[in-house]
Amino acid sequence: MENIIQVENLVKQYRKAKEPAVRGVTFAVRSGEFFAFLGPNGAGKTTTISILTTTLAKTSGTVTIAGYDLDRQPKQVRRSIGIIFQNPSLDPELTAEENIRLHVCLYGLYPYRPAYRLMPAEYRKRIADLAEMVGIQGHLFQKLKKFSGGMKRKLEIIRSLMHRPKVLFLDEPTSGLDAVSRRSLWEYLRQIRDEENTTIFLTTHYLDEAEGADRVCIINQGRIEMIGAPHELKQKLISRYLLIDAPDRKRLGEELREGGWRFIEAGDGFRVFYDSSTPQDIIAGLKTPLSKLDIYDPSLEEAYIRLITREEGGEEA
Amino acid sequence: MKSSMMHEINAVVAIAARDITRSLKSVQSLVISLVFPLIFVGLMGETLNQNMGQGLGYNFLQFMLVGMVVNTLSQFTIAGISNLVEDRQNDFTQEIFVAPISRYSIILGKIFGSSFASMFQLVGLVVVALILDIPLGGWDFVRLLLLSPLICLSAGSLGITMAGLAQDQRTAQILMPLVMFPQMFLSGAMIPVNNSTGILDFFSHIIPMTYVVDLAKAVFYWGEPAYDKIVMHSPMLDVWVTAGYFLFFSVLGTILFTRSERNR
Repeated sequence: MENIIQVENLVKQYRKAKEPAVRGVTFAVRSGEFFAFLGPNGAGKTTTISILTTTLAKTSGTVTIAGYDLDRQPKQVRRSIGIIFQNPSLDPELTAEENIRLHVCLYGLYPYRPAYRLMPAEYRKRIADLAEMVGIQGHLFQKLKKFSGGMKRKLEIIRSLMHRPKVLFLDEPTSGLDAVSRRSLWEYLRQIRDEENTTIFLTTHYLDEAEGADRVCIINQGRIEMIGAPHELKQKLISRYLLIDAPDRKRLGEELREGGWRFIEAGDGFRVFYDSSTPQDIIAGLKTPLSKLDIYDPSLEEAYIRLITREEGGEEA
Repeated sequence: MKSSMMHEINAVVAIAARDITRSLKSVQSLVISLVFPLIFVGLMGETLNQNMGQGLGYNFLQFMLVGMVVNTLSQFTIAGISNLVEDRQNDFTQEIFVAPISRYSIILGKIFGSSFASMFQLVGLVVVALILDIPLGGWDFVRLLLLSPLICLSAGSLGITMAGLAQDQRTAQILMPLVMFPQMFLSGAMIPVNNSTGILDFFSHIIPMTYVVDLAKAVFYWGEPAYDKIVMHSPMLDVWVTAGYFLFFSVLGTILFTRSERNR
């Protein structure tokens, strides 16, 4: 699969800052991929996404998006991307439809007309289809002042997809949204990805949102710490184990020892680690009747916290 | 090439239309369009006219009305463009700056939009003039209105420079009167400056609005007996100086604004 985003040795040094915010970052995103870019506050996530979306000048390095060089072909880069910003970037004095009309004219999709009914039928159909998909079809002609945070996010999704971008950048798209709005937003994004094969580049603080990503990239203090599929990161960072217990603990312990399993005895039973094998392998070798059986599957959040605390010199859990 | 040009023009029109739409929807803007001329022409102008305007040899309120046309267009164009700073604080500039268009198209669209929006403010001025029985001058006033695009463009370039210099809305609010009040009083828009001397005369000669006001008065009083008493420079000189200031401030303002947006 070809790379749609290629970043090499990217550096950003802000004016008056002692240290660079981004220090020689290199990574690639494949076409059609769901790529999650994670890191703690101040790690360099928003700086990187701002550079990739051409709203911030880099200090050095090269960036190519959809085959276009960020320095030499910024207009082509902008035409290839859609963005949902961390803070809504909408004009509250205009209606939802007027905000979208401005967007499509800036992208040269349709000639500007002073009223919705004068806009081309193709525009009206596209906006109606997308509004129906995100469920705000009844609010298109209302001023944004009456919109909730969730509705504004949905409007931004419609706007960002009007020009059918190859890459959709989502900079903490669910911050400030309630649980229901978050869930529905992700449903829409999945639907859009399936229908339009759009590459998704996500930054988020909600790590459960990144669980479904094809690959996760973790940045900390301006450097890439780790990159890979969520299950690979979990495997590298956290040991998986089976939690078992039996009325006859002594016999169970002996069986585990004889089987050569690495385990520890805790208050709630035995934690038997199985990094290179499976829970079935452990259970198959046991004859002692069990009273407890639980497979511990670490979350991406646990793996992430392990990595960040390790980098900051904290205690390993 | 042609399609790229059409895309840029379309973007300029869309950005300008946004400002016009916002202005038409704003009740606050409608109120200001009536209150502003009432204060300046009705209160200040009438007071000056009653106490000092009798020996001038021309109708002082009409003189002030012409100056107020230039002042209103300039002030509201600059204020409209300064909204770029508000847009930046509200994160709206992100949407415009990631669009695949030239930075000059953004600035031009903003200048055109603010210019058209400022022209609506003239309606209030005309209403106040009619209430106060100030002679509008018939075709003289029409000629003045035809000059309004030039007046707005000149002010727009200054507005862009201000938006480039101000990092936040608070600074923009401080800069606005610092730029507008000296121009209002030293350009001859409201008070004659033909007899100014020393430092006031020096400032009067270096501020851009002096030449715009003088050109507006040359166009309005063309062929009138009061022309020689009111107009200070040759209209050609006014045009050249205004065009020079426009070019200088447009380029400087665009560079400053774009840099402040990307080079943080």
